[in-house]
Amino acid sequence: MVLSGATFAQHSISIKFENYAGTELLHVQQTYINGAGEQFTVRNFRYYISNIVLKNKLQSETHEGYFLIDQSDDASKEIILQTNLDSVSAIQFLLGVDSLRNVTGVQTGALDPAMDMYWTWNTGYVMAKLEGSSTGANTPRHIFSYHVGGYKEGEQTTRNIKLSFNTVDFVRPKKIIYISADILKWFDGKNKISIAATPLCHEPGKLAVMLADNYAAMFSMQKE
Amino acid sequence: MKWISTILFVALILLVAISWHDRKPAVHSISFTVPKGWPQPVYDFKSNPITEEGFQLGRKLFYDGRLSKDGNFACASCHQQFAAFATYDHELSHGNNNSFTRRNAPALFNLAWQPEFMWDGGINHLDAQPLAPITDTNEMAETIGNVISKLKADTGYRRMFKAAFGDETINTQRMTKAISQFVVMLVSNNSKYDRVKRGEDSFNLPQRLGYQIFQKKCIGCHTEPLFTDYSYRNIGLPEDDFLHDKGRMKITSKSSDSLKFKVPSLRNVALSFPYSHDGRFYTLLDVMEFYRHSNPAGASVDSSVKHGIPLSNFEIGQLTAFMKSLTDSAFINNPRFAPPGFETRMPAAQPDIHKSN
Ligand code: HEC
Ligand code: HEC
Repeated sequence: MVLSGATFAQHSISIKFENYAGTELLHVQQTYINGAGEQFTVRNFRYYISNIVLKNKLQSETHEGYFLIDQSDDASKEIILQTNLDSVSAIQFLLGVDSLRNVTGVQTGALDPAMDMYWTWNTGYVMAKLEGSSTGANTPRHIFSYHVGGYKEGEQTTRNIKLSFNTVDFVRPKKIIYISADILKWFDGKNKISIAATPLCHEPGKLAVMLADNYAAMFSMQKE
Repeated sequence: MKWISTILFVALILLVAISWHDRKPAVHSISFTVPKGWPQPVYDFKSNPITEEGFQLGRKLFYDGRLSKDGNFACASCHQQFAAFATYDHELSHGNNNSFTRRNAPALFNLAWQPEFMWDGGINHLDAQPLAPITDTNEMAETIGNVISKLKADTGYRRMFKAAFGDETINTQRMTKAISQFVVMLVSNNSKYDRVKRGEDSFNLPQRLGYQIFQKKCIGCHTEPLFTDYSYRNIGLPEDDFLHDKGRMKITSKSSDSLKFKVPSLRNVALSFPYSHDGRFYTLLDVMEFYRHSNPAGASVDSSVKHGIPLSNFEIGQLTAFMKSLTDSAFINNPRFAPPGFETRMPAAQPDIHKSN
């Protein structure tokens, strides 16, 4: 933990992740339309968050820990941290799991391979998963399935996320930071992704990196 | 007065009982010995210190069919001790629901020195290795979560996890660390070749000549003392038109890695037939015949075998004699590596490894 300036008594702060499809709250099995004009439904949406850094103008505080945010598990969408900061104006975190944890054997907790976010035949974490179906997908039951992972050079799929409140500081009494994640950004960002053209991503490599470049922009800090 | 001493006495007994109960169960550490002249192992023993309790737990897991979906496929069903922990006489091993594995099961030994695992090197840590067969539908076809639940439901396992790790927590990490504690101890360094190197024995003439030929033609890849340099090479085997196995390229996506496979160790090679990543060769002679007739095309073929390896019939005979000197019968007969409980059925007494502690 790096601290500078005045410190305050520890208190808890909550970071709440809310998943969206565009401007609508994400619901499983509801139909959405992506940037390529394709209708699709979502069955499963999960991602790792780690290395959280809370900041204000004077101070910065690093929090260790790995969290798996799972659309189907509301409890997983709230991360509670103990902080000494009286205000927070910016937050940084890693989307995914750092390289070290990919190469040092089997981990526990949110990183337990039993969480089903892990490749056993080509060791490494799936940093984020988006799965569902779309009639355009030429696959059994028209499923599309993006398991995005890769930690090696040239295949890196973790992304550093930096979010800040433009004007006001987050003030102490509220104690909640809302972060939204927009799945439509997976298809429409730096790269244009079409489900019909690429319905499956199950290994590290080019498509995974393209999806990662897109999801790097899916987060935003919510105004209340 | 008497009641005070009684109370004191009872309190004392309670205290002793509590401290006895809270005492961390003693573990008996096993030191890993690096054979003389061998490189340092790459396995990180600091994060998984080997103990007798962990080793015995790993051994039980290795031989336990409950790690597979239908209960039939223990690790040991494909990795058999008498075949130096390869699958005896099978090109491809049998897995769940009458399926075949996609590759030939390699022999298991000297894993502490191995930086990556599988024929394509896709697995980067020994602890992570068991997760691949457990979940592969062609192998044990189970989910990690189910295996952990089965172990948790078993009082015997709970006791053994506690003995090995201090409490009854059972999770993927502990299970895989225990398996590593068993398989990492599978050190094979007592072949005739090793005894000759230690000055305890001598080669016969064909073995000696074979060793000279081997040093000229083979050690570029099958490097002593482990008989592999753990690199990935394309020796020019034509791609199988059913399996379409691209080897290392599956992991790196680089076309320059197409059809490259990990150089296998040749220790115990006389026991681990059939040979090559898909088990296409039944005998050592078949492998030698391939090397000498091979004239492969393909950009990724290793430059040292672009035109095969010239070998006369005579040389093949000597090389084969030498390779047979790499068989370690002490290893394949070591009762510590046999199914749990095997020692108690053995006539000879085993040294008590607890004594040194
Ligand atoms: C159905 C047969 C089968 C079962 C069961 C099985 N394996 Fe294997 N094992 C294989 C095959 C085949 C390979 C090679 C796979 C490859 O290279 O893609 C292998 C590879 C390995 C390797 C890597 C060896 C090397 O030189 O790279 C280790 C270690 C290993 N297995 C340990 C285990 C353990 C521990 C278990 C039990 C949890 C187990 N195996 C269960 C067939 C099996
Ligand atoms: C260019 C590196 C290279 C050279 C030189 C080389 N090998 Fe190999 N060898 C390999 C590789 C790689 C394999 C595995 C190939 C596969 O399965 O695709 C292999 C496989 C084998 C096997 C089968 C082992 C098993 O367990 O499946 C034997 C036996 C063997 N080599 C013997 C020899 C002998 C004897 C020589 C010298 C005459 C030799 N090799 C020279 C790289 C080499």
